Amino acid sequence: MTILLIAEHAGGTLKKSAHELSSAARALDAGATIHALALGAGATSVATELAAWGAQAVRVGEEGFEPYAPLCWTCAVVDVANAVKADVILFGAGALSRDIAGRVAMRLGGTLASDCMALSADGKGIKIVRPTHAGRVTTTGAFSGPGPLVATLRANAFAVLKPAQPGAGNVANLNAPTDTADLRAIVTATVQSTGTRPELSEASIVISGGRSLGSAENFKLIYDLCDVLGAAPGASRAAVDAGYAPHAMQVGQTGRTVNPALYIACGISGAIQHLAGMRTSKTIVAINKDPNAAIFNVADLAVVGDLFQILPALTEEFRKALK
Amino acid sequence: MKIAVCLKPVPSTTADLRPAADGKSLQLSGVEMLVNPYDDYAFEAALKLREALPGSSILAVSAGGDDTAKCVLHAIALGADAAIQVKAPGISARGAAFAIAAALKDFAPDLVLCGRQAIDDDQWEFPGALGELLNIPHVTAVQSLNVDVDGKKLTGKRRFNRDEQTIEATLPAVVSCDKGLNDPRSPTLKGRLDAKKKTATIKTPADLGLDPAALISTIRIETIAPPPQKSPGRIITLPPTDAAREVVRWLCDEAKVV
Ligand SMILES: Cc1cc2nc3c(=O)[nH]c(=O)nc-3n(C[C@H](O)[C@H](O)[C@H](O)COP(=O)(O)OP(=O)(O)OC[C@H]3O[C@@H](n4cnc5c(N)ncnc54)[C@H](O)[C@@H]3O)c2cc1C
Repeated sequence: MTILLIAEHAGGTLKKSAHELSSAARALDAGATIHALALGAGATSVATELAAWGAQAVRVGEEGFEPYAPLCWTCAVVDVANAVKADVILFGAGALSRDIAGRVAMRLGGTLASDCMALSADGKGIKIVRPTHAGRVTTTGAFSGPGPLVATLRANAFAVLKPAQPGAGNVANLNAPTDTADLRAIVTATVQSTGTRPELSEASIVISGGRSLGSAENFKLIYDLCDVLGAAPGASRAAVDAGYAPHAMQVGQTGRTVNPALYIACGISGAIQHLAGMRTSKTIVAINKDPNAAIFNVADLAVVGDLFQILPALTEEFRKALK
Repeated sequence: MKIAVCLKPVPSTTADLRPAADGKSLQLSGVEMLVNPYDDYAFEAALKLREALPGSSILAVSAGGDDTAKCVLHAIALGADAAIQVKAPGISARGAAFAIAAALKDFAPDLVLCGRQAIDDDQWEFPGALGELLNIPHVTAVQSLNVDVDGKKLTGKRRFNRDEQTIEATLPAVVSCDKGLNDPRSPTLKGRLDAKKKTATIKTPADLGLDPAALISTIRIETIAPPPQKSPGRIITLPPTDAAREVVRWLCDEAKVV
């Protein structure tokens, strides 16, 4: 198989998702020819790392790819996929894939599978496992064409394994498309978040607070624990609607989907729409004063008690343990 | 301005979904179907634009099984000027893009609005796929939207990973709508009564020159199952400090996730 990885980076620092794409590609086909594409300012500096992660060839495009224009990026992905005759194109599930993967798949005459949790090949085709209906069901399907498969991979769902041998990593520069039609949609301003905490959908630990926190000030209890653990803070919709936390922090059906190694739910009842955004987390700890809270049904560790007492104690104990 | 709004029927967010006996589909009989919640933001945006730009018209379109009737009725009750129901059961998000692109041909919209994602198949595929078929730009998941009709362009704001982006696009365009864009209104009683007098135009894929088989997903479903059930977790009911110690010990030493 020929597999093209759409490698995302932040100004030249490769994102963790790129390691997951590489690992998923090699797990799908140990003999795959792996190509990688990195676009935007700083793309050139991730080429070496992509080679170390098994890419035989890396295409990088910097000039003309900023500011971000979805059609311009679509065109680049499609051109490279066609040039290398990619059977599979992998994106990390996130803002970029949600913006352009549907268009890429349509232009390639292929098929999109979003938020995949597992991919495997059985000689006849590719088996795809993905949650649908906000995680209420898991769907297993088989794909054997026509056209390539465009798959977006849910963060933290694929085991990360560095290849024993690096790829050749031949780097080629990619020129931006010159058709002005590709600039019909373009970003004109970007406000970067100033926070130092990890990105919610990529974080390996997420700690969320619910309505019961009672105020924006009290969310400090969540932020303090996050900072000790290097975790990303999240919130229930009720907490967001009450103005205790920004919408960007909302986890659930109408917020973000997270899939961390550890999810700590603090004072969250466990409504189905909240579970939709976090139920695939590997380990779930819930703190709730109601022993019958629905969140306990999905929790590996159910802590019954008052979060206003337990959270500060937990922050203190972790601080000691991690010193 | 000519505005098209795409709406999809989806199972209620709280419905208890179970696999059907064949293990390859969902048991949907008796499950309440709703208009996809994100499509409500799209329709509200259309109503606001029509209010601001007199002379505008709104065409609602829904493609899929019989439940699409619910979507077009809802849209008419909210004030859609016209509605098209494409009867094409079992189609995929990609198939819906083909069907709706064909259904919109005569209307030639300046703006096509839809939800950021359909909460049943969660593919996030439709806006980009539709933009491609109509050969117009698409802008996804906006939380604010301004349309400059004379300048033939629109400006949207959205979150993109950690950033807040302002994005501009020329008209015509497809725009998908996120929560936060507006506060969707519900149909009034008068709207619902008036809706009984209007009817949607019903089309089949054949009417639109499409092969229904080409609208079905190319991913062949093998199984649909409930998510893996967890065995009941450990319960801790210790005083706060002891509870905290036990959590830290368990996470560091047993689960080894910290
Ligand atoms: C279409 C739709 C989409 C939705 N999307 C989302 C979504 O994306 N994300 C989301 O989260 N919700 C979503 N919801 C809302 C969801 O149904 C719930 O209303 C919401 O998740 C409840 O938030 P909560 O758990 O913070 O609040 P509550 O349900 O009020 O629960 C508070 C919990 O805190 C506990 N508690 C109170 N005080 C303490 C204390 N001192 N110590 C410990 N525990 C305490 C209580 O026992 C209770 O379990 C959606 C709803 C709809 C209809």
